[in-house]
Order: sequence, then C-alpha cells, then structure tokens
Amino acid sequence: MSLGNLRDLYQQVILERYKKPRNRGKTNPIDRYQKGHNPSCGDTIELTLKLSVEGDRIEDVKFEGEGCAIAMASADLMADALRDKTTIEALEMVQRFQAMMRGEAEFPQESRKLNVMQGVAQFPVRIKCANLSWHTLKAAVEQSREAELAGYVSNEAEG
Amino acid sequence: MTFTQERTLASKVRADFPILHQTVNGNPLIYFDNAATSQKPKAVLDALMHYYENDNANVHRGVHTLSSRATDAYEGTRDKVAAFIKANSRQEIVFTRNASEAINLVAYAWGLHHLQHGDEILLTVMEHHSNLIPWQMIAQRTGAILKFVELTETQEFDLDQFKALLSDKTKLVAVVHVSNTLGCINPVKEIAELAHRYGAKVLIDACQSVPHLSLDVQSIDCDWLVASGHKMCAPTGIGFLYGKLDLLRSMPPFLGGGEMIADVFLDRATYADLPHKFEAGTPAIAEAIALGAAIDYLSHIGMEAIHTYEQQLTTYLFQQLGQIPEVQTYGPKPNVNGDNRASLASFTTGMIHPHDLSTILDQSGIAIRAGHHCTQPLHRYIGAQSTARASLYFYNTREEIDTFIAVLKEAIDFFGGIFG
Repeated sequence: MSLGNLRDLYQQVILERYKKPRNRGKTNPIDRYQKGHNPSCGDTIELTLKLSVEGDRIEDVKFEGEGCAIAMASADLMADALRDKTTIEALEMVQRFQAMMRGEAEFPQESRKLNVMQGVAQFPVRIKCANLSWHTLKAAVEQSREAELAGYVSNEAEG
Repeated sequence: MTFTQERTLASKVRADFPILHQTVNGNPLIYFDNAATSQKPKAVLDALMHYYENDNANVHRGVHTLSSRATDAYEGTRDKVAAFIKANSRQEIVFTRNASEAINLVAYAWGLHHLQHGDEILLTVMEHHSNLIPWQMIAQRTGAILKFVELTETQEFDLDQFKALLSDKTKLVAVVHVSNTLGCINPVKEIAELAHRYGAKVLIDACQSVPHLSLDVQSIDCDWLVASGHKMCAPTGIGFLYGKLDLLRSMPPFLGGGEMIADVFLDRATYADLPHKFEAGTPAIAEAIALGAAIDYLSHIGMEAIHTYEQQLTTYLFQQLGQIPEVQTYGPKPNVNGDNRASLASFTTGMIHPHDLSTILDQSGIAIRAGHHCTQPLHRYIGAQSTARASLYFYNTREEIDTFIAVLKEAIDFFGGIFG
C-alpha cells in the first residue's frame, strides 16, 4: 500500500479529530440551525451556531452528523476556527477553504490549523467530503431561503 | 471443481478484457465494483467499432444496404436477448436505455392506467431506488399505497410476511431478483406464483441476476422483467424490458415519436406493433448491437460455468472476510456451495468509514463501492449509514481477493493505530 499519499490525506490531526471531536453537540442557545448532506454518499451534518446579541459575530459552533473521517474532521476544525469570527469573516473563510480545496489558497497564521486539510486537494473525489461543513455553514450564515424551504443544503454542486 | 480449475476460468477470460491490464496508483487494477458496472470484453468493443466503421445507418427506415445491415444487427440482438432469458417471443423484448427506463415504462404505461386509489403496490425494503422512486411517483398520482416486505433475521426476503401482506388489494408486486447490497437471491418464482393467486402483476428487477445466472422468464412466470446491459459486459445506454406479449399489447405507448408509429395524421396516429410501439426515436443502435455481442460472449463461456465459478469466489471471499474481527458483512452468509447468494459482499469495518476505506484501497489499485449503493432505505433499515461493497464477476480471481483482504487488514491497522 502506498502509505505516503495516504499520510498526506489522513494527517494525524485529522484522524484524531475524527476519533475525538471537540465540537460535537448543539450550541446553547441555537441561533442558527442548518442541515447539510452529500446525496451521493449519504453523509449528513447538523450545524448549530450561537451568535452575539447583535447577531454579527459567531460565539460558538457545534455539529452533529455522520460521515467519513475527512467530513467529520473538517467540521470539527471548522468549528474551532470560527469561534469569535464575524459572520462576514466566516463567509470569507468559506471562500478561502473552497479555494484551498482547489489548491489555490491556504489560511494565514491565526487559522493555520485548517491547512491540515490541504492534502484533500490531491484527492478530487473527496473534496466534497471536506467542503460539506463549510457549504452548510454558508447556508446557516446567509439563512438561505432555498435551504430553509428544503430543510437542508446539498453540496452536490460543489464537486 | 478444484482450485486449479477455478483459476483456469478467470485466466481464460482475463485476456479478453483490455481494461483489466493496467496499473492504478502504481498497482495492478483489481476491479471489485462489478455490481455498479461490469467491464467490457474485446468482442463487445469490437462490435461497437465494427458497427461505426462498417454499418452505421439508422434502423427500420432505410432501404439502402447499410440501413438493412444495421437493422439486421439491431434486431438480431432482440433475438439474442429473447433466447438468453428464454422469452416466448422476440416481440416481448423492448429495448430501453437502462433498467430504470424499463421500470418507468411499466409505471407510466401500465401503472398510471391500472392503479387506483387504495390499490396496493408491494415492494421490498431492499429495492434499488430505480424500483422504488417510479412507484412512489405513480402512487402519488393514483392514490395507490406502497407496502414493503421486510427482511428475515438472516437479512433475506421475508416470505411469510409477503404472504401476510398479499390480498385482493394487491395489484402489483415489484421485487428485485438479487439484492445489489445484501446479495440475497429472492424466490421470484414462488413470489410470482403467490402474487398471481391474488391477480396481482409481477415485475422483477433482474439487473443483478441476468449477468450472473441462467434465467428463464417463462419458468419464473413474471409479467415483466427488466435488466441493464452495462452490468452484463455490454455498453451503457442499453437495457431491456421483457413483458408478456398480451400484457405489452394491452399497454399504451410510453414515449411518442418516430419509430413507434404505424400511420400518422396531423391530429392523430396509430401505433406500431410490438416491440416498436415502445421504442420511440432513434435507439442506441451500436449499444444494442454490442449487447448482442456481450450475450454471445457470455453464452460462449456458459452461464452455468460463470455461476459455478462465482459461487466459489463468493465462498472464498466470505471465508476471508470472516477472518477479520472488525468486519461485519450484510445479507445471508454463503452456504457450503455458495449458491444461496450473489458474489458480492457489503460490509463495514467499525471505525473506518466506507469512503475512507475506498480511498485507501484505491491507493492500492482496488476499486470498490462505498456509500448507500442506491439503496438508502435499506441502509436505514439495517442500521448502517453506508457500507463498503466488493462485488465480483467471472474475471476476478482468488489472488485478487487475497490482495484485497491484505490491504483491508492494512487499512484497519492504519486506522486502528489511532483508535486502538
């Protein structure tokens, strides 16, 4: 087995976060709630956000759901990185993460832990696993009417 | 058959499949995703190429030589399909794009006209989405009710429950022959016999059985049977519907267009006789001809030989999987002969998500399926969000199973180091 490539993908941090996530559960209170799923594989995520009184800053993020190591570790790392970010910053991070999955960007010092997901870019079929939580976050922050009607967002179009 | 003879069958045919002779991620390809689609032998690829290089013309309309050749080859496949599944008449074979289209044809051309409010459609919880969604759609439009046969303790078709569900309200029983996830072989002959006692029609989804077993529609006595070509060594884009002649005759057309007409006026038309009534538009000619080549190829090997060889692979695969404590398989365990289930294994490995497992195996050149295999309700029923599935065909070998098992163990160790 060519473990070399696999170690790029399954970095220790990712496996640890998969095994012992730090941000599983639901926020209290739940200011935003969004379900996301990946229809091609059945992976699901339920994201909850606690916002500041003004509603412009994320105070806490929790997730529940079932999925592969990439999807679950990505959600857990995302939750850490979003704490105390403004909603505008959060949406910028969504874009940066998606760009990182295309191999076109990485995160600066303060969010560098997210860069462990960079290896996923080498495995195109797995990018949507990593993007699932970020895609769901975007809908949660934007309170997308479409997602509200459907009850969930699908990241199928993310590729 | 001895071990040496087993190897002989796969080794005899492997040279026929160009795609198998490549490396993937630096390792020889091991293709264990045959339930999703099979690989194509050279004879099938040649038939496609030969058609386009020599005979390409539209069918059923030209008088010229090429059109006649194309029509002969296209219609020749209809005879081959009819003989392959032992249909009574070539008119009972309708070409479709795939099995899903064949089921939709029955759903719309029969279901929509015959099902009424309160009528019951009997399905199973193990149906592929293709034999579920069309019936959901028809039920919504007609007010018919869907009922589901569940599984026994060994995760097989629950015949007792089926008997209890049957009633005069049952108008249709639509059942998969071989489950693409559980690998169980459903007693379709008995199912049809019981259903007919109540006057219900019977549709069999034979996608996972036609490529692997010798099948006889007259013996099963089903009203319709559907299959796709690409799972039986033919190209994608071609499948077929079998239906009893009188029944097909009584059904109105599904799609309208060219090819399916007898006489056309501006405000009305009469329709062609079977099977053309159901084949609107220019069909997948090359693909149909190549399906004929696939049937020739399979028949030349012999479906009995294929089945026997696959039974041995099945037994061996489950023996080897059974040695790994972390592995949980679904569906019935193979019996001594391995003839009670299909040559595929859906399984989970504790902490490794099937997607992660599939990525790890792919790094070793091993192609398996990971996910819900288009049987999401079944996965909910068996309590697995997703499973990994290794599905074999007659060109697979014991040596490939050995490599697969070795890498599977390595993958479990790789993740196990973290979780241990």
